[in-house]
Amino acid sequence: MANKRVETGRGRKPGVVKASKKGSTSNRAFYLVIAVIAIGGIAALTYASTRSNAVVNASPVDSTLPAVKSEGYVMGSPTAPLEVIEFGDFECPQCGRFSTLAEPDIRKNLINPGIIRLRYIDFPLGMHANTWNASRAAACADQQGKFWEMHDALFANQDRWDGEATSNPDKVLKQIGDQIVPDQGKFNTCIDTKAMQAKIQAHWKIAMARHVEGTPTLVIGDKQIAQALPYDRFKEMVDSALAKTGKVAPAAGGDTAQSTPVGGSKSGVKKAQ
Amino acid sequence: MTKRMWMALISLAGLFLGAYLTMYKFGVIGTLACNVGSCEQVQTSRWSVFLGLPVATWGLGFYSLMLALSIAGLQPRFVDSRRLSLGVVLLAGWGVLFTAWLNYLEAFVIHAWCEWCLGSAGMVSLLFVLAVLDWRETRELETEAALDVA
Repeated sequence: MANKRVETGRGRKPGVVKASKKGSTSNRAFYLVIAVIAIGGIAALTYASTRSNAVVNASPVDSTLPAVKSEGYVMGSPTAPLEVIEFGDFECPQCGRFSTLAEPDIRKNLINPGIIRLRYIDFPLGMHANTWNASRAAACADQQGKFWEMHDALFANQDRWDGEATSNPDKVLKQIGDQIVPDQGKFNTCIDTKAMQAKIQAHWKIAMARHVEGTPTLVIGDKQIAQALPYDRFKEMVDSALAKTGKVAPAAGGDTAQSTPVGGSKSGVKKAQ
Repeated sequence: MTKRMWMALISLAGLFLGAYLTMYKFGVIGTLACNVGSCEQVQTSRWSVFLGLPVATWGLGFYSLMLALSIAGLQPRFVDSRRLSLGVVLLAGWGVLFTAWLNYLEAFVIHAWCEWCLGSAGMVSLLFVLAVLDWRETRELETEAALDVA
């Protein structure tokens, strides 16, 4: 048996015993391609993160429509110089992200100091199986002054009650609400009887009248923005709207928001956290 | 271009795809670019998290490992390594199974499709095919080498 050292390698012909020839030129070209793709990829990701933070879906508010004055649920001072409206859908993932990622800063830096107040109006989308149930549950919680607590709990627990999770959303919504409302019996009855259906329908009609097509849609000053804004862009829009109106925002840093119920609901307002 | 080079290129593309979706999951990207299907419905579903981490992040790790192994496989020390090829086959095979499970969820549980996930499924399948071909090639080389020695 031969006992010679054999060097193998890809690319050699069968039977030919020689070292593999890894073309250094070929490798260099390959690493060049890798480097180009890597740079392109990093640039694309940077662009995506920058672009997504930009306000791209803003349109002027239809000035012929009457102002929304008494509907929805309001958080913040009635004397705040600017009211921001959010048309939202409790089952909408983007609304959930806006609620959990941007709203804490909005409440802390803009609502609590009395710079803005936030009005939430339901716009349950047909594509979401359980969103009407959630809107009704939130309205039922509002009867007991717990709308915003329910609002936060619904968005934080979307995956417990949404159309993917259950075909019996009321059961889960009751479990969530029972941790929040003082009178569970009243809350459960409100859900079972769909007592708040007309109220949610009224909210939906307001959104339709204002040409809202998706959620979340934010109305900030004279702009209607059909996208979830990160906090920084949201604040820029608020600053721009305040500058246009010439209204002066209270000095930031205070914690002076008045939690005053505004129209249409018994409570609807909580002090921003 | 060798098969391992192609695998490295595909893995690099997958790495960026995983990074994009991971950035979305962590709130760095506000809205997903999605022309076909319902990417956000899929990416925000309860199935988008596996063992406490976003599925996209697992994908990022998978493609990073595939990229590292593919590039390692180009180095003279490992260029004919059958063991490395086998490792890549097993890793890619795991990727195919995991992706198949995710596609099943999209079709029958979530009832929505995400174009990025489908793109990833295509890349994982391609990686698996290339990995198997590469493994077969190293096996043939090993056999040839054995014959040469004999």
